[in-house]
This record gives sequence, C-alpha cells and structure tokens, in this order.
Amino acid sequence: MSNKTILVAQREYVENLRTKTFWVGIFFFPIIISLSIVIPIWLEKTKDVRKYAVVDHSGWLLEAVEKRAAMPDLEKVFKAAIDDIDAKDPADFEAYPPAVQEIARFLAGGKEKAREVLGDKFPAALEELSDEEFRKQYVKAVAIGISMLDSPQIAAAQRFGMIPREAVEEALARREEIKTWYDSLSPDDAREFGSTLSRGRYERIELDLEGEELIAKLSEMVDREKLFAYFVIGDDPIAGNEGFKYVSNNLTDEGLINWFERHATAEVRERRFEAENIDRELAAEIQMPVDFEMKKVSSTGEEEEVEKTEIVRQWAPVAFVYFLWMAVFSISQMLLTNTIEEKSNRILEVLLSSVSPLQLMSGKIVGIMWTGLTMILSWVLSTIVLVTFLPGLLGAKGDVIDFASIARDPFLLTSFVVYFLLGYLFFAALLVGIGSVCNTVKEANNLMMPVTVMLMLPLFAMIPISKDPNGTLAKFLSYIPPFTPFVMMNRAAGPPTNFEYVATSIILVLAIVFVFWAAAKIFRIGILMTGKPPSPMEMLRWLKAPIGQVPVRHDEE
Amino acid sequence: MTDALVLDGVTKRFGKNVAVDSMSMNIPQGSIYGFLGPNGSGKTTTIRMVMSILYPDEGTIRILGQPNAESVKDRLGYLPEEKGLYKKMKTAEILAYFGTLKGMDRHEAKRKASDLLDHYGLGDRKDAKCESMSKGMGQKVQLLGTIIHDPELVILDEPFSGLDPVNMELMRDVILSMKKGGRTVIFSTHVMAQAEQICDAILLVNKGRKIIDGPITEVKKTAGGGIMLDYTGDGAALHGLPGVQRVNDSGQHAELILEDDADPQEILRQLVDKVTVRRFDIREASLHEIFVRAVGGKVDE
Repeated sequence: MSNKTILVAQREYVENLRTKTFWVGIFFFPIIISLSIVIPIWLEKTKDVRKYAVVDHSGWLLEAVEKRAAMPDLEKVFKAAIDDIDAKDPADFEAYPPAVQEIARFLAGGKEKAREVLGDKFPAALEELSDEEFRKQYVKAVAIGISMLDSPQIAAAQRFGMIPREAVEEALARREEIKTWYDSLSPDDAREFGSTLSRGRYERIELDLEGEELIAKLSEMVDREKLFAYFVIGDDPIAGNEGFKYVSNNLTDEGLINWFERHATAEVRERRFEAENIDRELAAEIQMPVDFEMKKVSSTGEEEEVEKTEIVRQWAPVAFVYFLWMAVFSISQMLLTNTIEEKSNRILEVLLSSVSPLQLMSGKIVGIMWTGLTMILSWVLSTIVLVTFLPGLLGAKGDVIDFASIARDPFLLTSFVVYFLLGYLFFAALLVGIGSVCNTVKEANNLMMPVTVMLMLPLFAMIPISKDPNGTLAKFLSYIPPFTPFVMMNRAAGPPTNFEYVATSIILVLAIVFVFWAAAKIFRIGILMTGKPPSPMEMLRWLKAPIGQVPVRHDEE
Repeated sequence: MTDALVLDGVTKRFGKNVAVDSMSMNIPQGSIYGFLGPNGSGKTTTIRMVMSILYPDEGTIRILGQPNAESVKDRLGYLPEEKGLYKKMKTAEILAYFGTLKGMDRHEAKRKASDLLDHYGLGDRKDAKCESMSKGMGQKVQLLGTIIHDPELVILDEPFSGLDPVNMELMRDVILSMKKGGRTVIFSTHVMAQAEQICDAILLVNKGRKIIDGPITEVKKTAGGGIMLDYTGDGAALHGLPGVQRVNDSGQHAELILEDDADPQEILRQLVDKVTVRRFDIREASLHEIFVRAVGGKVDE
C-alpha cells in the first residue's frame, strides 16, 4: 500500500471518528446487548406473583397438588444449592437453610457418596450412569422423598427406586425441617433461590368464608383484580370433571392453569389406577413416556450428548449473521455517502492532483475499513464484558451462562471478524463505484436498489439455513460471493467442512478482486462526471475502455 | 532556459467532438503563462491532460522533464476550476493534509499551514471548520492549499472567476510572488484583460485550436494599433470615423481599431465635436481585439 493511500485512509478514519454516526454505532450495540440481558432478568424479577384461591370440594386434591408442586421446586433448590457450594461469595450458599446446605453437600458427593453409604448393597446398574446423570436422579429422588414420601401415590418413585432408599436416608432424616422451611417460604424469598420456582410465581390465599358467600367474594376479587384466578374442584375428581372451574379475567396467560392442571392430572390419574386395583409400579411403567435422548455425531464420528448449550449454539449464528449484516451494510453505506459528499464538495479534482484515483479509492476503502473494524472490535469486547459480568451484577443465575459461553466462542468471534472484512471489501468496492457516479444521495438510492435486494436475501434465508445448515440451499448459497460471508456465518453451527471454507473463500476473494478492478475503472471516470448517473450498459462500456479514456455518453454522440 | 511544460500535437476527442485539436506549446520555466479562450474552448480539457487526469488520444506532453504528471505530482500545484474543501475539517488541518499528500513531512506541513494562515490574515481561523468560513475565506484556503508545498509549477484553472476584489488582489500577489521565486505559473482565463496585466506569454485558443501564442509583447505587435476611448454621449457617433476599421463599443468605453495609415489627430478632432471625450489613449490593440480579429467574430463570453 502506498504512502498516499495510507494518508487518505488516515484522514478518512480520523474524520469518521468525529462523526456522531460512528459513536451512535459504537454505543448502540452494547446498549442493545445490555437491554437484552437486563430486560428478561428484570421482567422475571418484577413479575407479579399470581394470587389464586382454590375451593376444594373433594377434600384431598388440593393437598396432593401442593405436595406434587413442591417436588420440582425442591429439585431446583437442591440443584441451585449444589451449584452454589463453590460460589465466589460464600454468603450465596449460606442463604440456604442449614438442612438444605447439608443435603446439598451430601448430594454433591454423587455416586461415590452413595457407594460409601451402601457398601455392598450398591446396585451394579447404577455404575453405568455417568456421575452427572446419577446426581440428576439422586436429586430427584431426594426431592420426591421430601415432598411426597408418605403419600401412597408415589408413582414417580419408579425412578426413586433406581436410587436405593437407603442412599437418601440421610437426606430424608431432615425431611420435616425442609418441608417446614419450604411451606413457610414467601414468594419473594422463593425467587431468591431460583427465578422459576412455582412458589415464587403462584401464591394461594385462603378466605374464612364458605359456600355461595365464598364464591361471590372470590368472583368479586377477580373482578377487582385483587385475585388472578380461582379454581373450583368438583366433589369427585376420580369420577370425572364435573364441578371443575377456573375463573379469571386473564385467559391468555395460561401459566397458572397449566401448572395446576398438570399436577392435578397426575394425582387423579394415579388414584384412578388405584381404584381399578392396577399395580402402582405397573401403572407407572405403562405411563412411561417415550423419551428420545438427543445426541449428535461429532466430527470424530462419535455420538455426543446434546446439551442445552448445543441448541443455543445452533441458533446463535442467527444473531451473528444479523449483526454481521448490520455492520457490513451500515459501514459500506458510510463509504457511499462519503464518496458522494466529496463529489458534491467538488474536492475530488483537487485530490486527484496529488493522488491517483486508485490511491484515493483504496485509501477511502481502507480508512472506512479501519472505522468498521474499530466498531466491530468494540462490539465484540463489550459483548464479552457484558455477558460475562452483567448477569452476575444483577444476581441472575444459571440460564444466562449458556448464552455467555456462546457469545465468547472464539470460533464464532473469529468468523465474525473475518467475514465482516471479506463482506465489507466486496460491498465497499461495489458502493464506492456507485457513489462515484452519483451526485446526490437520491440518485445513489436508485442505483442501490439491486444491491439492497441482493443484501436482503441472506436475511430471508437466515432461518431456513439455521434449521438445515448443511442443506442444499445453504451449500448452494455459500458459493455465491455476495452471500458467502452471511451464509457461511449462518452455517457455523453445522459447521461446514474445511473444504467448503477454503473453496468459498477462494471464490469470494476472486470476486473481491474483480469488483475492485471494476470499481476502480468506474471510479476513475465517475468521480469527474457530472450530470445524470450512467445506465448499467454505459458502465459496462466504461469497464471495457482503456484507462484514461472517457467513453462517450450516448446523449453526447 | 528549459521548458517547464511542452505540449506537442496533443489531441483529445470525446466521440465525434474534438475538444482539443493538435495543441502544441512551450512554456519556459519561471514565466507566467496565460491560457486564454472563451468557455468551452478546451482549456480545462488541456489542463486535465497536463495533470494526467485525462489522457490525450494523440500527441505528447512533457512536464518538468517527465512524460506525464504522475511521477512529478509532488512538484505541481493545481487549482481546478471546480474546487472545494472538506466541510468538517479545520482550515489548518486541511492545509496540512494537502501538504502531506504532496509528500511533505507531517510536522513541516503543520508548521507551514500555520505560517501561511498567519501570513494571509487567517491566523485567527486556524481552528475554524471549513463549513463555517465565508466564500472568500474558503477561496483563500483553497489557494493556500495549492501552494503549501512550494511547487515548481502551478496550474490554475480559471483562478479569478468568482473572486471578490480582495481575493483577486491576493491571487495576483501569489502569482507574482511565485514568479519571483523562480516558479512557473500557468493559468487559464476567459477574461482577456486579466491576462494582459500579468502574463509574460499567452496562448489563445478557440474551439480546441491554438490561434496564436508567444510573449505578450510579440503577440500584440501582430495586431497593429488602436485607440482607447472613454467618452460620454451617443455611441453611434463613433462609427464612420476616418481610418477606423472597427469599433468595440462598451457604452462608456470603446476601443477603436485603426487602419495602418489612420491619423489619430483627425479622429480626435472629429470625436470632440460629437461626444465628450474623457480619455484618449493611442496604444497597441488589446488581447480582446486580437482574439476577435483572429476568430473573425464576436467573442462568446
């Protein structure tokens, strides 16, 4: 690169740093990211507790539902507690009641702890479970034990059976303590232990009324929005749905009714089996859902377990494509307006007495590329910092971490920066060519139409490609240079083969060289031209003309 | 003395239209050279070819001893007719930028920019953005940008057009001081009177063709004599005077072109009877007249 190209680029860069657009671009992104992290957490935190009431004519279903509902909550509390054993701030762990702390430590022991307790009685079948899987079952068993041990309807204890009762005996010894703690947990406190606890979302209230009076009062409360909803449970749930009612003014938010129905159904179903004298274990076995374990084949051909992260990973490229698109589009657009501005400022001919058109063009492209890179790198950095620290600052747990690990994935980040550069170079050359033949932004917009349409396609293809990253459409589009950066970024979850990376990159680079050559020829002629912009056919003739010769315009002939 | 610029048979066509037709000229170093002709006569095209912005179809150009301007750009100063500044840049910055583009060291360019602005009365506007400047100040900055690197050859395309009287004076000063420094200045104009005042040599061009060129004194000799007349009265009286070949009448001022054997005394005598004579000046014909005579018609200004 010649010295003069760098001088032009430097000026371009420094000038761009002074524009408002640049700083808006720099700050816009982190603000979006922050909002996308803060708003869900904040919404979750400020979500109203749904108050509800239940009129139970059966006399037993409500109690059973509450026991069942406690089970998943406890499971979550134990999991969170196990995670918090090693928390940076010891106070996090100390927030749990002593019984939960002890059990969490015990559960953290996993298979080894169980083996220690059971000695010879440790079932060989359990050895086959991974430590993680074992702990999952183990936690579940403890949660079931604590919430429903004395219920005669522990069908789910089919799983409980896998972990010998003796293994969780120690946990069960503290059962009453934990049950009391859980039952007295207020919704606000519950949220401290996990945002998804049903205890934190739904609060049942009781009124000291009966019969018609009670129903009238509840209806009135629902009407005044003092109560989200109330349930009426029929006399005999086992016989049928007669007398069941759900009354609410908000029928679109089905969270509460679904939650309550799920637990009520499970309970009633079990009692029906019992009524028919069907063996509990047998019934549980019959009801076992078909459960496909999600796996994927790794690059070495082995089966890999699919974690939640993988699913996020599958979709993460969509976000990257979107930001890539925004970056390429907005930054090459900068080049377009910039060129037109120079043209309308009539400064080009002055510059041409010092630099060659090629130096001028490449200087501009390089200068704005630096601007773009600065912006992109600031985005990358701020994203890493924000996803790493922001959720922690807000006291969020668990779920966000997957997102953070994806956003920091070096493979995705490198692809992002490289494809930004390649995509930018391609469209920059295209737009600088267009800019050079236009005198006003309005004229440029007309010529931009085909380019914009071309740029829209990867956006439309974004979702289909994410679903099938190695499908025919995705593969085909990868080889078309203007789409390559976006489509390949889109397919990062696939990922494409090394051959595809190399082949598409070679084609893209060749295309960039060609577009540069064409843009340089058009730029040379276009920047000195006034009057209406040339037609595409005219520009084609410019490409064929030798350097320094200005082909005649039709209307001049 | 060597020539700063030599054109030999340079021709440029745009389709069927011949913009510049086998133009030849020699411009000696250290001179002020006027490139004269009406609008659309091919002046700008010729200058653009000299600057290697356009390439000639035929003929050769030698500039500062080189076959094209590419390799000597840093030694040239060029002020195009269409000129402008970056609106958002500060005056000192843009001058320094022009300087560095001409190969000046960054520090030197900054210092020189500051000196020039001080010297030409813009010292207090160094940090002003170009968009905040008046048109006259902008013109000044543009001119300073052309000479910041002290070029050996300065080419100015219509430098006087649109200038206010103060800047007109400044432009003249700059051109003259360049010459004093041994630099060569070429400028184009369609206003003959401007060239007449400061040029050492001129070239007259019309419709892409050279009409006449050479040192201004020699060019004038070819045209014979004339009378410059300031008068008040009816212009019709100027016609039909003895020995007067033609009259270029401007209402208050007229140029009378004389036949070789005309008697100026007789003309004055007759004039005094018909109009009030305020000035009567016997001299060589003006460039304007030379041009009119050469093209054989009215100059299209």
